[in-house]
Amino acid sequence: MTSRSSLLRAALRIPPSCVVFAVLLITLWVLRPNMMNPAILGTFARQVVPLGIVVLGQLLVISSRSIDLSAGGIILLVNYLISSGLLYSWPLLPIILLCLGVGLAVGLVNGLLVGKRRASAVIVTLAINIVLIGLVEYLANGKPPGDVPAEFRALYNLRFWTIPAPVMFWIALAGIMSAFLGASVFGRFVWSIGSNPTSAHFSGVPVERTVVAAHVIAGLMSAVAALVQTSSIAVGSVRFGPELVMNSIAATILGGVVFGRPAEVWGPFVGVLCFALLFVVMTTMGVQEPGKLIVQGLIILLAAIFYGLRSKSN
Amino acid sequence: MSKVGRIFFPANSRHGLWTIPLLVAICCCVGLAISTADFVSRQNVLNLFAQAAPLILVSIGQMIVILVKGLDLSVGSVVSLTTGILSLNAPFYVTVPAAMLTAAVVGLLNGVAVTRFRVHPIIATLSIMGITQGAAMFVRPSAGGTVASEIVALVSGELFGIYMPVIWTIAAILVGWRIVHGSRFGLHLFAIGGGETAATFGIAEQRNEVAAYVLSSCFAAAAGIFLAGRIASGDPNIGTQYAVDSITAVALGGTQLAGGIGSLHGTLIGCGLLALIANGMNLLNVSAFVQTIVKGAILLLVIALQPRKNIGL
Repeated sequence: MTSRSSLLRAALRIPPSCVVFAVLLITLWVLRPNMMNPAILGTFARQVVPLGIVVLGQLLVISSRSIDLSAGGIILLVNYLISSGLLYSWPLLPIILLCLGVGLAVGLVNGLLVGKRRASAVIVTLAINIVLIGLVEYLANGKPPGDVPAEFRALYNLRFWTIPAPVMFWIALAGIMSAFLGASVFGRFVWSIGSNPTSAHFSGVPVERTVVAAHVIAGLMSAVAALVQTSSIAVGSVRFGPELVMNSIAATILGGVVFGRPAEVWGPFVGVLCFALLFVVMTTMGVQEPGKLIVQGLIILLAAIFYGLRSKSN
Repeated sequence: MSKVGRIFFPANSRHGLWTIPLLVAICCCVGLAISTADFVSRQNVLNLFAQAAPLILVSIGQMIVILVKGLDLSVGSVVSLTTGILSLNAPFYVTVPAAMLTAAVVGLLNGVAVTRFRVHPIIATLSIMGITQGAAMFVRPSAGGTVASEIVALVSGELFGIYMPVIWTIAAILVGWRIVHGSRFGLHLFAIGGGETAATFGIAEQRNEVAAYVLSSCFAAAAGIFLAGRIASGDPNIGTQYAVDSITAVALGGTQLAGGIGSLHGTLIGCGLLALIANGMNLLNVSAFVQTIVKGAILLLVIALQPRKNIGL
């Protein structure tokens, strides 16, 4: 009896993303064995790298009981900065630094309003997102955006031993984040706020400052994701963002990081891979756009229900 | 503080800080009336009502959910799905009940996921938004179809010399007022949102919360009926902006997302302010892009002025 329940508990500790990933992998293996090839899967994984990097920030924010809906706006702004031709004569490094600075600044504004002003995170990040989108559209003024510098494209297409460079970069970034959360005091602060903000406050954890820092890191991650996204499409775009933000929340939750649950990097990491694989499986099965939306919604809902029930039984 | 001061800047009101947005709205009205000749014209005022009516409907539902510490992101997809169902080739006495019933089921799913399965409202309504949007695109893959002429007549034209959108707006306000400020259910919403002690006073929290989500979806469906009548066809993407816009309007009106504090008049002011911004800047020939920036900036300003206890969502 006890051994059975402890076995069950151990099984339940695996994030839902791993279960979903395994199921999807088996489905693909049964349906299309020839798709199971590192080069093809690597290409699909490369498509979700921007999402994966946004998730690295999102999981920090969600774990500290906040949310960041402004990633779409940051991506749009960075994309505009690079592709508009405003900085055409600049060398690569200052452009990258400027873009990262934009992400940091937006994250700081989010963080200060949420942490210090104690405004609602949903509204603040939503409003910032609206402002950023409006700003980019105003600056672009209906003009089609220009080309992205060739260096970005070259970096994006690089491969090491058939693994695309962006995927390597993503894995490295996730590793750094995981080590940072595991070893730093900040990681423990986020962990304690995730468990219980009230007791964290009374234990001397600087809740406000930690929330601000989480938002700043999330802003930075959005900017990094924007750089990858921009080099992937090679031309500027004024239309993308909302589904990326929603997917980042979904992947984080699928990875077992829910509001007020300790931050963990690899669960959401696999959650993002699930999205890549889900796309492959449904495309090969000929599922149309409505079907994709429905299946995606169902998977998130079921994973959340699974976790909701789990938190109740604990 | 003087008595008048306390009415306009209540420190601990259950209805939230709705006076600041009201002042902003009045300033907008006065400014527009002075700077443009067309603002006070009959045609423009009627346009304002037609623009605001669906937003008011969705926002009333959104506010009901927000009062019980929830959030409904699926309202936009319910609006789209409703227009899709109404544009099917069937008489109105089949499509309208079918659309309302579908919306009620969506609301029920939201409510059950949030209360029974304790899924966070953002996650639950986000995933159900995906499912509903998928259903909408399945029912009507692209804009088109024709809506029964009775529904078109219901939103355009006049009744007893009153413009139909005005009647819809007034009806929405009356129903919303009855629910939120004129019923025991409404009082229970405030009690549930206000704190954890509601259950100990014998208020059935789960049942009332589920009812709040069902009402929210039904209000969204009503907005869908209105919009379907306006464009006389179905469109799977017509509702996309309503989730964000309704949350914006509700937050502008002083309703707090932490629950328990809010008011119908605040929400109406929020909707009015959004409609005024859009309408006024159109009259002033401000580009649509600047309108977006101003909308976001006003939202930030109002939200930064409202003090809260909790950090986070």
